[in-house]
Amino acid sequence: MDPLLTFVVILIGFYGLSTSKNIIKSVFSVTIIESGVILLFLNLGNLEGGSVPIVGEAFTGIVSDPLPQALMITTIVIGSTVTALALMLCIKVFHHYGTVEWREILRRGEGK
Amino acid sequence: MFLIPVYLIFVPVLTALVIYVFKNKHINYLALVSQVIVTVLLVLYHNEFQGSYADTLFVFGNWSERVGISLVNDEISVSFMFLSVFSWWMVLIYTFEKGKPNHNFLFFLLFLQGVFLGLLQTNDLFNMFVFLELMTIIVTILIAFKKTGDAFRAGIYYVLLNTAGVLAFLMGIIFLYNIFGTINILVISENMHLVGDETAVKFSYVLLMSGIAVKSALFPVFSWLPRAHGVAQSAISALLSGLIVKGGLYVFIRMNMMFADANLNYTDFFYVVGALTAVVGVMFALSQKDMKQILAYHTVSQIGIVMMGLSSPHDTEIFYGGLLHIFNHALFKSLLFLGAGAIIKVYGNKKVADVRGVMRTMPFVSAVMIIGMLSITGAPFFNGFISKAIIKYGIMDSGIKYWILFVVNIGTATSFIKMSQIFFGPQTITVRIKKRMQNVSMMMLALGCVLLGNFYIPITEGYFGFELREVSVTTWKNFFDYFLALSLGFLFYRYVIAPDYKPVRYIRGYQMSFEGSNYVFVIFLVVMTLYFVVF
Repeated sequence: MDPLLTFVVILIGFYGLSTSKNIIKSVFSVTIIESGVILLFLNLGNLEGGSVPIVGEAFTGIVSDPLPQALMITTIVIGSTVTALALMLCIKVFHHYGTVEWREILRRGEGK
Repeated sequence: MFLIPVYLIFVPVLTALVIYVFKNKHINYLALVSQVIVTVLLVLYHNEFQGSYADTLFVFGNWSERVGISLVNDEISVSFMFLSVFSWWMVLIYTFEKGKPNHNFLFFLLFLQGVFLGLLQTNDLFNMFVFLELMTIIVTILIAFKKTGDAFRAGIYYVLLNTAGVLAFLMGIIFLYNIFGTINILVISENMHLVGDETAVKFSYVLLMSGIAVKSALFPVFSWLPRAHGVAQSAISALLSGLIVKGGLYVFIRMNMMFADANLNYTDFFYVVGALTAVVGVMFALSQKDMKQILAYHTVSQIGIVMMGLSSPHDTEIFYGGLLHIFNHALFKSLLFLGAGAIIKVYGNKKVADVRGVMRTMPFVSAVMIIGMLSITGAPFFNGFISKAIIKYGIMDSGIKYWILFVVNIGTATSFIKMSQIFFGPQTITVRIKKRMQNVSMMMLALGCVLLGNFYIPITEGYFGFELREVSVTTWKNFFDYFLALSLGFLFYRYVIAPDYKPVRYIRGYQMSFEGSNYVFVIFLVVMTLYFVVF
């Protein structure tokens, strides 16, 4: 996959963030940006035909860079946490305001 | 001795876990124990390495420096750590009540301390990202802790906007890794002069800075801050406004140190951003009616003033003025938020117009609040005066920069003249419960304000290792400036703000929508790219 394609994914995410009027869609957009960033880093660390960077039988010839893979696992974990937290808050907002439209909930004063 | 940085991170985190697991009546005291341990360790560490921070590099697991996770300290990070431990003491004392079942709150509070101390010490870009993101998550939970609709709304606004910013930060890290093959900050800054002109380096700088701009609430993307700090509990607001926002500014200092050898001229750009932040923050603060909103918007404007200082190169007086203003702001803004919290608790009302007679009802709280207000407006012999005077000293030569700061000072004076109305008037309410612990923490903060305002020279030399003796602060001109700003502020309040004209009402009603602030964030990114990369 071309690294430029991952930029397209990231830009789609930013487009979604700056246009969507629904909290759920905003959460999805953040997730999309994050997927794009992860793909970008994995792409840059990957070598064409490189083997898995685990010491063992396959550990011969050219090997992919292990650091991006280790880092991106952490990013995925953090990302899932953020998504879970955001969705939880989204449910709570829905319980208090009865809607998940940004405009509606930001316009109102105190929730119930 | 070398393991102390690790203990500083893990003692609060592990204590937090223990408190959460054994939800016991007496386990709350463990928080104080961990706080004592952290303080003692920090003092030991400071005494050991004072003056020679060159060999504080600690690499986990004896890996090579280029791939291992490492921690390192210098004067700035150690003084930030002292500030943060002090702030946590104050918040813990303020919120501590005997036998109150607030284990969840203590869990997040102590966990946040560990994460923040980690952010200050890390020498690894990816760990910096992890700590920033962890901070975002925990702060979101603390904002939403009151479980009202307002709090949840502010929480989701905060978490999504900040995550987008931190992901931009991560993208910058990826570019740097692609260029240098390492994420160790020291190694990168040593090799920066080799590639200082590359477009990719500049672009990574832009991405890192846009993430930091969101985290530290700079001009176009500050809309989350008043929302979040206005609705959180007062103790949490004090911590967020006083310290957590400064995490972003700390990363700003670190990144600029890392990019010191790159061919980037950031001074003018960030001075303009800081000035805009300061002016816009003051403008919004003037129109607000809610006490906590006023204080939250003043955090934005004070961050702008700090930014005016920090945007200068690292060995100038003005940079140290900005750094000192971070510390001063942490003291007086925590004090103001804690005091406002005590007042709101007694009166059950946040509106400035409805609260009267605090001086008679709560004499102690109003005394410390007045100290805080004098500090934030920059009265002589209080700490705000010192750092503002140092920043002024640095920009004395250029007229426009000086006048911007003066305008911000007038605005600050105006809105605290407005807020000081709450002290006057007859007593309307009698206080039933006296909270001694709250008074202790507010008194300590007020004492800090006065001490830093008068004995700043030995303190800055001991902790920043920087001489400020040649900067003349207590001049008649500065005194005159303060009283001029105060009187102009009074006139401005009397004739413009108090009648509540239409523009003021318009600014009060203006709210940036969520998609709008993301749009502005993208535009900010593009503008920065144009400024730093293309031209």
